[in-house]
Amino acid sequence: MAFRKKFTPRRKFCRFCADKEAPIDYKRPDILRDFITERGKIIPRRITGTCAKHQRRLTTEIKRARQMALLFFTAVHSSAVRKRTI
Amino acid sequence: MRKYENLLLLSPELSAEERQVILDNLTAIMVREGGKILEVNEWGMRDLAYAVRKMDRGYYVLINSVMPGAAVAELERNIRITDGILKFVTVKLADVEEVA
Repeated sequence: MAFRKKFTPRRKFCRFCADKEAPIDYKRPDILRDFITERGKIIPRRITGTCAKHQRRLTTEIKRARQMALLFFTAVHSSAVRKRTI
Repeated sequence: MRKYENLLLLSPELSAEERQVILDNLTAIMVREGGKILEVNEWGMRDLAYAVRKMDRGYYVLINSVMPGAAVAELERNIRITDGILKFVTVKLADVEEVA
């Protein structure tokens, strides 16, 4: 056991605190997409490292984006699966 | 007076003229209710994340405006009546001082 190093996970940080310019906006689904799973669930902040304040904003903006069909609710309904119309 | 933004999702089946009629109609209502249009930003045709009324594409239009709070109800009522609007959202951006 002498050679085993103690495992220290990389320190997580809130991306929106680090970069004040980074927008949390329902109109930017490309950014919000980093914070949902491939099934469309919002990733908890214990995993992403987002601070409480920004996670709250993030949640509302993701939900708005879902309403406006900018983000999907579930992967099953995403347009990639369906047949293309018009 | 408050600053609002409206994001509209219009049906892809509308022609450019029909779209323009709808937008003119809504902006006219906003102005009539004592508001002011700041910007109309047409995002154009985009793929939707999920099918809405069996349509996979939609035409997004973003309208920034300054309106009195009471105007929002009237505007949303009219949006609901209008055919060809699949989805909409109104977001309050900020409170602004009374403009002359």
